[in-house]
Amino acid sequence: MMLSNLRMARPFHIIIQPFKVFRKLAVDKYFYASLFTVLLLFVVWIVLTATGFADELFLPGPAKVWQSFLSVSTEGYQGSTLVVHVYTSLYRILISFLLSCLVGIPLGILMGASKTARSLLNPLIEFYRPLPPLGLYTLLVMWLGIGEESKLALLFLAGLPGVIIATIQAVQDIDESYLRVARGLGASRRTILLNVYLPAAGPTILAGMRISLGFVYTVLVAAEIVAATAGIGWMIWDASKFLLSDVVIMGLIVLGLTGVALDLFMRLLGKLLMPWTRKSRFGTS
Amino acid sequence: MLSSFAKKTLGISSGLALSLATFAPQVSAAPKPKNVTVGYLNLVNAQLVTKSLGLMQKYMPGVKIKYIKVGGGGDMLRAIAAKQVDFGGLGNPPTAIGVTKGLPIQGTMVLNMLGAVEAMVVRKSANIKTWNDLKGKTIAAPFGSTTHYLLLKALSDAGIKPSSMKILDLRPADIAAAWARGDIDAAWYWEPNLDKAVKDGGEIFITSGDMEKKGYPTWDVGVVMNSFASKYPDYVVRFVKAECEGIDYWLKYPKKTAKIIAKELSLSLPDATRMMKGTEMVPCKTQLTSQYIGKTGRIGGFADTLVETSKFLVSQKRLPKQLTRRDYEAFINPVWLEKATK
Repeated sequence: MMLSNLRMARPFHIIIQPFKVFRKLAVDKYFYASLFTVLLLFVVWIVLTATGFADELFLPGPAKVWQSFLSVSTEGYQGSTLVVHVYTSLYRILISFLLSCLVGIPLGILMGASKTARSLLNPLIEFYRPLPPLGLYTLLVMWLGIGEESKLALLFLAGLPGVIIATIQAVQDIDESYLRVARGLGASRRTILLNVYLPAAGPTILAGMRISLGFVYTVLVAAEIVAATAGIGWMIWDASKFLLSDVVIMGLIVLGLTGVALDLFMRLLGKLLMPWTRKSRFGTS
Repeated sequence: MLSSFAKKTLGISSGLALSLATFAPQVSAAPKPKNVTVGYLNLVNAQLVTKSLGLMQKYMPGVKIKYIKVGGGGDMLRAIAAKQVDFGGLGNPPTAIGVTKGLPIQGTMVLNMLGAVEAMVVRKSANIKTWNDLKGKTIAAPFGSTTHYLLLKALSDAGIKPSSMKILDLRPADIAAAWARGDIDAAWYWEPNLDKAVKDGGEIFITSGDMEKKGYPTWDVGVVMNSFASKYPDYVVRFVKAECEGIDYWLKYPKKTAKIIAKELSLSLPDATRMMKGTEMVPCKTQLTSQYIGKTGRIGGFADTLVETSKFLVSQKRLPKQLTRRDYEAFINPVWLEKATK
């Protein structure tokens, strides 16, 4: 089929791309700029705590936070080690985020391509999107119970709108000429969907996914407040009740690092799967 | 100096005519706060009476009183750490945590002793008759609260490992919801939410009052921020006076009090009456005896409870270090009660 020309030459890129990507990430001068910010923050932290300017109750020094990292890693916090807490939370985050993408991307494409579908579904999404997660959560707990289901549902609902909205935008932004060419060449709806919509919309969808993952992270603590016994969010919540601010800060740092790692992973994946991504959109952010 | 004093005296004397009928204010040049924020725990005690009768207003004329309802000790501790309240109330475990962590607070008075108002409810159908029957079951308690403390104490006294069952951290309102769904078999928490579980196929297994008889008293103590106390000492005394009047009212007019509790917590009158019986209110003069707050220089039993509680929390790794009785004595300040009951 002539249409196969529309498909990008993937295999080649998959072999070459990772090395390029790594090199780019490692030696970029912007990387040093980012590193500078991190180091500056660290120095400010040390100065604030070492001079006694900050109350230790609220901001313990790096040494104390490191200590709690070591003790929670080896002895654990309330029955689970740090690895278990991280694993439990990441499991919840990834499952629900994956679900948001699996539901959100097709829905978004549908809503982007068809005005009827958009009008049908928009009220629903626009209504629940600004609702505070805790308010929503009360209802979810009543409906789904205090087990994993309600936690996953809350995280899923947090991630969904971002994916859908980005996908709609992406689909609407597709150059009409691509579609006309494909149709002119006699492409079926299915082919257009897989070979035109998805590749062209991919980069924007990925951007939406990255933002969505952020939203999922923001509700993690809320999701783990009710009846959790493990998870980084729960650990932070529980420790805050006992004013263990070193554990709270340590938990936040670990949580943040997993978020950065996941985001990096998604960017890498984007560069591998969609090497045609415009630089201006994804270059170094 | 003279003119400002004259102004104040003038101001007071003009206000005197209005308030003399109900209460004679102490004539002093003490500074007056603009607002006073009172954090009160969502449970059944005389603070609701004080609030409903506007006693705080009566003792602090011209001051804006703001009441904030707080769900449990853990939340109250956070509110205090964030300096969002001037006055608060804490159960003994949060108090032990706050004092050990060096929060700038001092204990002023006994808000209430916890009796049957806190209890462990078990689902009838779960067939729980002994502590051993709890093995493999799901039990809820608000972590860091008095009931969580008593649950773990009772389990360790019965020689049962907490790990042999599933203990969940839920807030009182969430416990009620989880109970209605059948997600949990037992829960140790407090009124007014406790009643919902009891009425919905539950029965009381043990009360916090039973645990008090076994030597584990639990209570809520009124606390004041140190900064507020040093700035407006006069107003701490006024606060204590207002709460004392609420307690006296509770003890003197149980029927009227039940009506107030019923209104404040949207309960039926019989429910409110029953819940009131589970809370032991201590008259302010009695609070100065060795069983409770004690006197200046001879701090009472509350300090011992705090030592016991923190020992337990240290063993649970919820607290990093154990303080001495002297440190807890320093937290309890009977001066306010002594002045208020004079």
